[in-house]
Amino acid sequence: MIQFLFRNFRARACHAHGRPGAAMALTVTVAAVIGGLAPGRAGAADDGASQTPATIDFNRDIRPILSDNCFFCHGPDRSERKADLRLDTLEGATANSDSGGTAAIVPGNPEASEMIARIFTQDEDDVMPPPDSGKSLTAEQKDLLRTWVKQGAVYATHWAWEPPQPRAVPESRAAAELPSATAIDRFVGRKLDEAGLNFSDRADPVTLVRRLYFDLTGLPPSPSAVDAFAAAPDEQAWMSLVGELLSSPAYGERMATWWLDLVRYADTVGYHGDQDHNIAAYRDYVIDAFNRNMPLDRFSAEQLAGDLMPEPTTAQKIATGYNRLLQTTHEGGLQPKEYLAIYAADRVRNVSSVWLGSTLGCAQCHDHKYDPYTMKDFYSMAAFFADVDEARHFREGTNSLPTKRPPEMDVIPVSRQRRIDTLQDQLKRILNGSPKSTAGTDRRAAEIEAAIEELRSQKVRTMVTESVEPRVMRILPRGNWLDESGPVVTPEVPEFLGSLNKTEAGAGRASRLDLAGWLFAPGKEGGIGELTARVFANRIWYMLTGRGISESLEDFGGQGSPPTHPELLDFLALEFMESGWDIRHLIRTIVQSHTYRQDSVGSGESRQTDPLNRLFSRQSRYRVPAEMIRDTALEVSGLLVHEPAVTSIRPYQPDGYYRHLNFPERTYQHDTDRNQWKRAVYMHWQRMFLHPMLKAFDAPTREECTARRPRSNTPLASLTLLNDPAFIEAARHFAGRTLLNQRLHNDRLKITWMFRQAVSRSPDPETELPVLTQLLADAREYFLAHPGKAEKITDIGLSRSEWHQSPAELAAWTQTARAILNLNETYQRN
Amino acid sequence: MIPETSDNYFEKLMKRRTFLGHTGFGLGSAALASLMAGDSAMAADEPAPGRMGLAGFPHHSQRAKRVIFLCMAGGPSHLETFDFKQKLADLHGQPMPESFTRGQPIAQLQGQELRVQGPMTEFRRYGRNGQTISDFLPWHAKMADDICIIKSMVTEQINHDPAHTFMNTGSAISGRPSMGSWINYGLGSESDNLPGFVVMTSVGGRNPQPIASRQWSSGFLPSRYQGVEFNNTGDPVHYVRNPWGLDRSMDRSLTDAIRTLDGVRNRKVLNPEIETRIAAYEMAFRMQASVPELMDLSDEPQHILDMYGATPGDGSYASNCLLARRLAERGVRFIHLYHRGWDHHGGLVQYMNTCCGLTDKPTWALLTDLKQRGMLDDTLIIWGGEFGRTPMFQGKGGAGRDHHIKGFSMWMAGGGVQGGISYGNTDELGYHAVENPVHVRDLHATMLHLLGIDHRRFSFPFQGLDMRLTGVEPAHPVSGILA
Repeated sequence: MIQFLFRNFRARACHAHGRPGAAMALTVTVAAVIGGLAPGRAGAADDGASQTPATIDFNRDIRPILSDNCFFCHGPDRSERKADLRLDTLEGATANSDSGGTAAIVPGNPEASEMIARIFTQDEDDVMPPPDSGKSLTAEQKDLLRTWVKQGAVYATHWAWEPPQPRAVPESRAAAELPSATAIDRFVGRKLDEAGLNFSDRADPVTLVRRLYFDLTGLPPSPSAVDAFAAAPDEQAWMSLVGELLSSPAYGERMATWWLDLVRYADTVGYHGDQDHNIAAYRDYVIDAFNRNMPLDRFSAEQLAGDLMPEPTTAQKIATGYNRLLQTTHEGGLQPKEYLAIYAADRVRNVSSVWLGSTLGCAQCHDHKYDPYTMKDFYSMAAFFADVDEARHFREGTNSLPTKRPPEMDVIPVSRQRRIDTLQDQLKRILNGSPKSTAGTDRRAAEIEAAIEELRSQKVRTMVTESVEPRVMRILPRGNWLDESGPVVTPEVPEFLGSLNKTEAGAGRASRLDLAGWLFAPGKEGGIGELTARVFANRIWYMLTGRGISESLEDFGGQGSPPTHPELLDFLALEFMESGWDIRHLIRTIVQSHTYRQDSVGSGESRQTDPLNRLFSRQSRYRVPAEMIRDTALEVSGLLVHEPAVTSIRPYQPDGYYRHLNFPERTYQHDTDRNQWKRAVYMHWQRMFLHPMLKAFDAPTREECTARRPRSNTPLASLTLLNDPAFIEAARHFAGRTLLNQRLHNDRLKITWMFRQAVSRSPDPETELPVLTQLLADAREYFLAHPGKAEKITDIGLSRSEWHQSPAELAAWTQTARAILNLNETYQRN
Repeated sequence: MIPETSDNYFEKLMKRRTFLGHTGFGLGSAALASLMAGDSAMAADEPAPGRMGLAGFPHHSQRAKRVIFLCMAGGPSHLETFDFKQKLADLHGQPMPESFTRGQPIAQLQGQELRVQGPMTEFRRYGRNGQTISDFLPWHAKMADDICIIKSMVTEQINHDPAHTFMNTGSAISGRPSMGSWINYGLGSESDNLPGFVVMTSVGGRNPQPIASRQWSSGFLPSRYQGVEFNNTGDPVHYVRNPWGLDRSMDRSLTDAIRTLDGVRNRKVLNPEIETRIAAYEMAFRMQASVPELMDLSDEPQHILDMYGATPGDGSYASNCLLARRLAERGVRFIHLYHRGWDHHGGLVQYMNTCCGLTDKPTWALLTDLKQRGMLDDTLIIWGGEFGRTPMFQGKGGAGRDHHIKGFSMWMAGGGVQGGISYGNTDELGYHAVENPVHVRDLHATMLHLLGIDHRRFSFPFQGLDMRLTGVEPAHPVSGILA
């Protein structure tokens, strides 16, 4: 049994809690709820946060100020600490107070506290933070610190390292007014009560269906799906729609997009020659895992350490491709030791970002500036992966396409294996069901056998993890790989979070499997499962509401954003963990709430009082991610091929886009078969030159973990929707499909039908229909006058229109379709 | 990462709305301004009226308004360009003294016998101060009085890809913004219809260095600050041309219809982000004209084409130098030109002849042309590679040199830099920068200083840190080269 202690922090927290008069109640003013959540960051001063809350909460009100302004010099990093003063612990801040010397903080006595004197002084030589730090405190922040000291300078364990506690679901006036309120609504409602706000109304059925489709499948709904729900939008219909979407194959594809960003999945090595490497079977595994609702703990363990499991299956070996996803170099003149150090750091950054929500990666050259991670923690984490065979490509790697990055395996991908299994079941039924074989059944059986054989023969090569004798892992002074003077470390979890105690107990070296176990085991069993649960519950919440309960999805440390609804976050985390890490259950729990189903425009009151929607007084709205943009245009047009792709697909791409790649030189051949129109999750991910369409809509290069993508609105994105041949082809196909539809016998019906395909509602006859009608008329006139131009529309893209009656008419409708495929609303999740 | 969430825009535009009154569609111009440059949604304060960069920028008066960075990718040899070492000639062929190389990072020469390689060309002195310039660079000789040669550059990365990343972003870790993005973020763009950060690469030379789009990424800064690559073949900017070949009137009517419909929708849903989007479409529409106009050299007189040695449309470094001038004239803030032929592990003389033949005269032409137009005064030109080359011999197909990071040469010229001087020195064998070393961080600090920015007060919050282009280690503007 491994030991699990919140060592230093637990002790300190107890000390702080034990102080007389330390009120920990959560009564706060409205201003603090809305404006004072992250005083160091987003312009809190505008929203009336100058009122100091009645009772100060250290984690919410004080830590962000101290962390951002003080900890760099007076924090956990010993080597940088100035004046031997640390302010991140009560002991440090109050040192000297007993001996009669000057103490930075004298609890209860701001006048005697040097820190308070130094932040208020006008003397430039004495003032803190010093002017050359570029930091300064606002008047409100200074007042808050003074009040906090006056109230006793109560410290608390950083929220993210305090395990979630079971929370009583609170009463809420706002929630009570709802026809049905879930626990989530009561947590959210409680904060709304305090702010004197109400929930926004439930969104209209059309918006709800669109939202749910985008969130759970990454695709827009068909008009018939919208109609079906809108006809009877009751509770049962909603939950049955939720169930239907969660079990559709598109769900796994949508979730994979999220996961592949976190683990930085790409099809190329990322450095220098950016050669292809063999890893697509890993993506296939991820999609399959989501579609089977594999619990997160098992999903994670298979990726981190599937090779160490007893008699690992092929799928588990494929999963260990995770450990090979980092950027590697195949450049001549590389220094293997240097790159092994770079690879080790890359892994620590990713593992700690993905599962710990931490910036442990910052402790490569020095102890962490803000959080209690030490350099030893960093290299001890790296040591878990010292057995991953990653040095072979230094000798065996080539400039071929793909390059060689052994160890690799030839495997039947998981999704293909499932088809084989299905066929074998069929075969069994045929053979068992008809004892007397007939010519028909014999033929059928033979066909199935042949199909199975065919599928079995199509193996693909994929990188896997093989465990070798662990490399010696040393602490590298200042991160310098040439310096071998640092002490050797063995695998261990960050010290302040506990210990695996492998070496002490004589149980031998801790493994990646032990690490995976520790990440998900509950505290009572020595793990940090509750903390991990909080990291992921927050991310799923973000996926479904557009804002994390803690906004810094990737950083739960002292410089991250404290949760706006800590009790809700704890509730979701425990709900998730206790469900057996059931991701679908967590999603179902959230989408069932009124909070999820609110309108995204919100009332004037909601927008005014809660402009940043920190209280979740309405739903969020945003442009969908890059992959969904492509998928939506293809789906709306009718071009989307709803089939998985085991190897990466290559859509159209500007000629010469890879001309800067070398070793070897690269030419890009776009797919000429059905792969051209498959979903974007399958797109070839070239790290050094990501497809311009993906890039224009903020898809990451996947060199590092991405928990939140930016959502930009740039001219390059506009140009992409306007002129990328994939989108023009989609417009033409959309137009052709419209013209083929016999029931649409006039322009108005056609436009209306097209509009509904794209945005799930009919155009307004006064304000919208005339705009498109006019565009169509202008285009008709133009193409009749320029028949050559009209005919050119058929040159774009590989698909062929089945409607041939008039090039000018097809071109004019294509132009109309382009307008619809460029609308903000088409790609808006709201 | 701080995404450009709709909430950020909302906050921003809520403030604006108060400022502008409830003007409805009148917000377009404000949204446009924010789109073009001044991302005040990210900044603590509103930008000052009439400016589009961060509030309070520039910190002090600017000596340069824009930068043209001439990147000789692969790492040109300082020992055959600007850094003449007699001792190197004297010891030619002898073992490299171990006192220089012990414990040092070595790239391709790992495990090999290290021998001294003497200079492979002649050097002469030029200009009023007698600048040392090699025979490979006769046109550089003509501008000896205009350039400031830094002979004591130091970097930290010995392989190409991370060394470029380090030179461009101040870190070898992927995902940091490149300097062109930083500068546009701080100062904003001066162009209404072109991006503020333009990248061009050139054809010709030896087997070219691969170069990643990471090198012009905006990293954790908003995407609008990313470098936009202008291509020599195909569309000059991806998707800027309608592949269908429709007339401009059709682009206009389509863009108008999109704008009207987005506007109608916005009246219902009150989403300020739509305003930004409308502005993006307007700029896209303008780029469809401005980019081809920029790339079309037909309005350049023959003597200018001859001066550069440019043949329009050939994608050469010469043509790109001429385009760089045109971009500078149009207010583009940061222009990054790559020539990718400088990795001379062997056959150094042959390849230096090739690469200098392709770049020497156009570089002179660019500087001279800017000068004759009065633009050199407020344009900073920086020339150099991601590192230098070893004093030691490497022989992949004739004599060459390996990667070298402890001392190499770059030059700067124009806005605020003293011309006609050399700064710093390497040791007697050209190995270590020993006199006034200039780290890449110092180069960045100097560049920012000339642009009116105090590098210490120029940061962006990311992963809990206040990230700077110049990082956390000490960095200083090189005062010895300032005019």
